[in-house]
Amino acid sequence: MGTAVKLTDEEKRVLDGGDGAIPQVCMQYLVEMCEIAGAEKLVDLDGTGDLHTPGNQLSPFYGFSLEELEKLAASGAYFKIPTFANKSPFPEQAPIHGWENCNICSYQNRDNRQDDPAFHEKALHEDFFRLYRKMGMMTSHSCANYLTMTYLPSVGQHCSWFESSQIPYCNAVLGARTNFDGTFATCFLGKAPYYGMHITENRYGTVLVKTDRLIQTDMEWDVFGFAVGADVACEVPVLTGTGKPTTTQYQKLNSAIHTGGGVSMYHIPGSTPEAPTLEWALGGKKPKRETLIGETELKKAYDTLNFHTSDNVDMVYLGCPHLNIVDVMLLARKLEGKRCRIPLWIMTAPWLYDVAKNLGYAKVLADAGALLMSGACLAAMGAVPEGVRNLAVDTAKQAYYITGCYPDDENRLQVCYGSTDDCIDAALTGRWHGEWR
Amino acid sequence: MKKIRIKGRCEYPGCVEAEALVSPMPLQGFANVSPGRGYTTERNHPLFKVPYTGKVLVYPSPRGSGGFMAYGRGPLKPAAFVHTVASSLTVLCALAAHVPCMTDFEEDPMAFIETGDMVLVNADEGYIEITKKD
Repeated sequence: MGTAVKLTDEEKRVLDGGDGAIPQVCMQYLVEMCEIAGAEKLVDLDGTGDLHTPGNQLSPFYGFSLEELEKLAASGAYFKIPTFANKSPFPEQAPIHGWENCNICSYQNRDNRQDDPAFHEKALHEDFFRLYRKMGMMTSHSCANYLTMTYLPSVGQHCSWFESSQIPYCNAVLGARTNFDGTFATCFLGKAPYYGMHITENRYGTVLVKTDRLIQTDMEWDVFGFAVGADVACEVPVLTGTGKPTTTQYQKLNSAIHTGGGVSMYHIPGSTPEAPTLEWALGGKKPKRETLIGETELKKAYDTLNFHTSDNVDMVYLGCPHLNIVDVMLLARKLEGKRCRIPLWIMTAPWLYDVAKNLGYAKVLADAGALLMSGACLAAMGAVPEGVRNLAVDTAKQAYYITGCYPDDENRLQVCYGSTDDCIDAALTGRWHGEWR
Repeated sequence: MKKIRIKGRCEYPGCVEAEALVSPMPLQGFANVSPGRGYTTERNHPLFKVPYTGKVLVYPSPRGSGGFMAYGRGPLKPAAFVHTVASSLTVLCALAAHVPCMTDFEEDPMAFIETGDMVLVNADEGYIEITKKD
């Protein structure tokens, strides 16, 4: 700490409690965040916000009660920027749709089951959300809010988002600017510490990434993202030699690059908005270093993501990040008229669930024995159904986190990682046939 | 006994001396850390199930989810955090932990500190002091 944070007169008034208790605690939190980050001031947000909910506990040291929030909402206060809810409420992380058939315990707590109606009702925290909605929050409950928010920030706008896969989506794909800091405080005050990705100089590429394999399939983008992240850590990579990603591939790249590493920003010259050319992406400077993510590195990443000795699969999970509607359509097409031998859970964004239903995909999937859900994920819920010892998934993020929920030798979880088609095959046969090709 | 002093930037103030636990790899939070048990649960990680409670946790950089902040939560958290690279994730962790946190050193502390060394983290005065275990 030690950085003198320069506040405007209005910000000082809020810090001194001039606008009441909750604005004051929010400003205290932001000032402390500035001091830790070395930020000299706050930036006024003109984009959008996103936070994990209920989110009244900003940190163990800053929070406010439901009663205080009730008074704030009654006073007519509102979120200063368009604000969305990240995936389903903490700490229970109940699915918004499909919970009735979600036969798992809640975050390693065997006393609470996601398919218990009483638990589900409590887990939705409606006492908070009726107030948040009154204050303008759009309760989208997705880790991929950019799919459904219908109001994306434009290039250069300052935002405050959360969720590892969304941060690079905001910065790299949309060209808007966010650090990993979406909270009630930032969205309510419409301000965030001015450092990191808000500053143009920090957004230029620092590591030039080359590949000797044309990255073009969904799984290649996922594995490539994980391998790049592991190589560059928190740098800003410039990805060259790849194809142009689809929306699905951007979803996979963003979630994987911020799982293998801590990448908030990257460039793909010719594709992403701040990289019309390689020179532009690098800000006219030489990169700190070059690195090759080629066949050898990709195979190594694929092997890291696989963690199984058996090819007998007990369950398949798809939907990390939450699936876009095209992916739901493609799954319905591939599963129409077929029958799963083992549980297949498919997770989408809550606001797409009804679309999938209206378009007939939900019924096709149900007829195939698959469970369409929304709003959560297995790693967030921290569990798999009892008896599942080998899980098949098609995203690096889920493959790499879910085993962390089962660290003990007596109940280690195995993971088969591969393409979506490998996972569909596993759902239909109960066997894993995926391999790096 | 040989002591090595390195200047750095204070993220969160305080002064504490404790044994170092060095992670040669970046650390990851969310489902890959258990604040209730006080160790990382990331498979294949060199610190898999190695308790960090009361240690000076030394690591090169964070990676992954905002759930990285879980390293700073609960009674089993480390005594202090020392890391080479700062990011939004280390900011979240310091906000949660309220224990001495330092970064942006004049020389990379990863090159000097080994697990078992004693490390004084004087974030108030902006330096760490390493006492080698042997």
